[in-house]
Amino acid sequence: MVLLEEPIKEVLTIKNYIGGEWVESKGEIADVINPATCKVIARVPLSTEDEVDEAVESAKKAFPEWRRTPPLARARYLFRLKELLEEHFEELSRIQTMEHGKTIDESRGETRRGIENVEVATGIPSLMMGYNLEDVAVGIDEYVIRQPLGVFGIIAPFNFPFMIPLWFAPYAVATGNCVVIKPSSEVPISQFKLAELVEEAGFPPGVWNVVNGGRAVVSAMLTHPDIVGICFVGSTPVAKDVIYRKCGETGKRVIAQAGAKNFLLIMPDADLERTIAACMTSFYGNTGQRCLSGANLIIVGEGLNEHEYNAFYKKVVNAFVESASKIRVGYGLDESVQMGPLRDKGKKERVVKFIEKGIEEGAKLVLDGRNIKLVGDWPHDCFLNPSVFEEVTPDMTIGREEIFGPVASIMRARSFDEAIEMIHSNPYGNAASIFTSSGKWAREFQYRVQCGNIGINIGIVAPMAFFPFSGMKNSFFGVLHGQGQEAIRFFTESKVVIQRWF
Amino acid sequence: MLLNTASAVISFLIKLEEETAKFYEELSRKYPEGKEIFQSLSKENERNKSMIQRVYYGVITDALEACFSFKEGMDSQKYVVKIEAVEGASFVSILKSAIEIEEIIKKAYIDAAELSEGLMADVSQAFRAVARKRSDRIAKLAAILSEGK
Repeated sequence: MVLLEEPIKEVLTIKNYIGGEWVESKGEIADVINPATCKVIARVPLSTEDEVDEAVESAKKAFPEWRRTPPLARARYLFRLKELLEEHFEELSRIQTMEHGKTIDESRGETRRGIENVEVATGIPSLMMGYNLEDVAVGIDEYVIRQPLGVFGIIAPFNFPFMIPLWFAPYAVATGNCVVIKPSSEVPISQFKLAELVEEAGFPPGVWNVVNGGRAVVSAMLTHPDIVGICFVGSTPVAKDVIYRKCGETGKRVIAQAGAKNFLLIMPDADLERTIAACMTSFYGNTGQRCLSGANLIIVGEGLNEHEYNAFYKKVVNAFVESASKIRVGYGLDESVQMGPLRDKGKKERVVKFIEKGIEEGAKLVLDGRNIKLVGDWPHDCFLNPSVFEEVTPDMTIGREEIFGPVASIMRARSFDEAIEMIHSNPYGNAASIFTSSGKWAREFQYRVQCGNIGINIGIVAPMAFFPFSGMKNSFFGVLHGQGQEAIRFFTESKVVIQRWF
Repeated sequence: MLLNTASAVISFLIKLEEETAKFYEELSRKYPEGKEIFQSLSKENERNKSMIQRVYYGVITDALEACFSFKEGMDSQKYVVKIEAVEGASFVSILKSAIEIEEIIKKAYIDAAELSEGLMADVSQAFRAVARKRSDRIAKLAAILSEGK
């Protein structure tokens, strides 16, 4: 086993980045642990409400001049940031593996997706243009101008420490706003490094701020009168009952992306070999810790008689279980590893409880990931191998709730319509995929399924930076989404001008 | 060594490109009669390395099956080749060694392309492009060899 070199050699001290300065927090300090090795790799402050105030004050102070900076000049800051991100691509990727646990391929994928958002935002001189119409009445013209609003807060989750703040921040600053980012305190290093590169790119002080911490920071951001909008990615209870509600009360704009329970359908005419490989990434990529992960696999028997369906079902289950059982689990800096650990011990315990619940409720555990086999000699604290349940029904806990771990629930549906009903019986609506060779079923699926992101022979329906990251039902709260044109609209106000010259 | 992920395959192929670049650079110094061709091959190795790095780092996203595209994977032992200029070897013998090295590396690229074409098509196309270049250089080396005989 050969490991790629670790970029973090000694325990880092994470600081806040406020008003262009690296500031030590007065708050308590928490350890950041590499979940594969269980070693402490950084110490992060849990900042205070006052420190949020300082960051917002800096952002507010920077806003008037920043919004007057021509969009082309703002874009050039982003071009410089993009160049620096490319230069530090490998370091940033390995940091993600160290702080989160994902494999190096997954980390590089995350880095690339983050950079793509910076790239899209560099197009701001075109993206931010308004529109106009001459002669709305004779001699009167009307036009729309897009203007920035002020200071936005970005509250990030633990599962994509580098990328998720970049679904929002590049668009916010490109449109002339200033940001205060709160990384997850479990994985703050990527945003710490990103802020270093923002500083190197020369952004004016106060445009980009990072305040580390936990709930106190979130509460302070939600109630702060000078924060005009919040972008949040996290669990549904928090998105719905805390973020969305509080933003409604305080009149803030909001993008709240929440939990998921994603269904994948396998039709009898699917290309099984490629479908199974796509399923491995979907169910076990990022150790199942993403809102686009596959959770429930429905094997559909449309057009098959009972005997044919049973044979097809068995064939899919066998192929799925065989592939899942071969997944190499270990430290993501080993290039042969295909799945890393859960982010921490508590998250592993939560997944184990779901597995126990599945057994208790009568599902058949055909691959037990609690039997840990690792590539390399690592502490087992945060690791699980892939699990597969058969005979799961949508009303079971494991079929209904978000597990956020490497557990697949296989379900039966005798028809396409029954499968669609199963998807719609679930309160989430983030993503759903169909694997088929039939354009008819693919079109029907895309047309009918009430989910924000639809995959056709795609296991992870992750929208590219120039498309919105959608979501429906209990997976999204708000109107406009992150990324691309929708982000531009979210971060700007449309001002209408009607003019007549006498 | 098992090469079962995009990262592992790319690292392995980059290593082969680097080693062959050095190999041809050394040959260009040792064999004046082949200086031009060896130097051009060495430069091409550098370009190949950049190309496969660019295509991998350029298209990789978390939505692609980078960890699972190479199916059961490749065994690096199948492509073991001594990439070194043997002291005192004749020009003809060194050309034969070079052709042998190229054949093995070409095979590595073709195998990697075949495994990955279903799910990482960009990477697979780049591998095939390098394999084609390898065929061209094998033809060139063989032509020089037949002239030398």
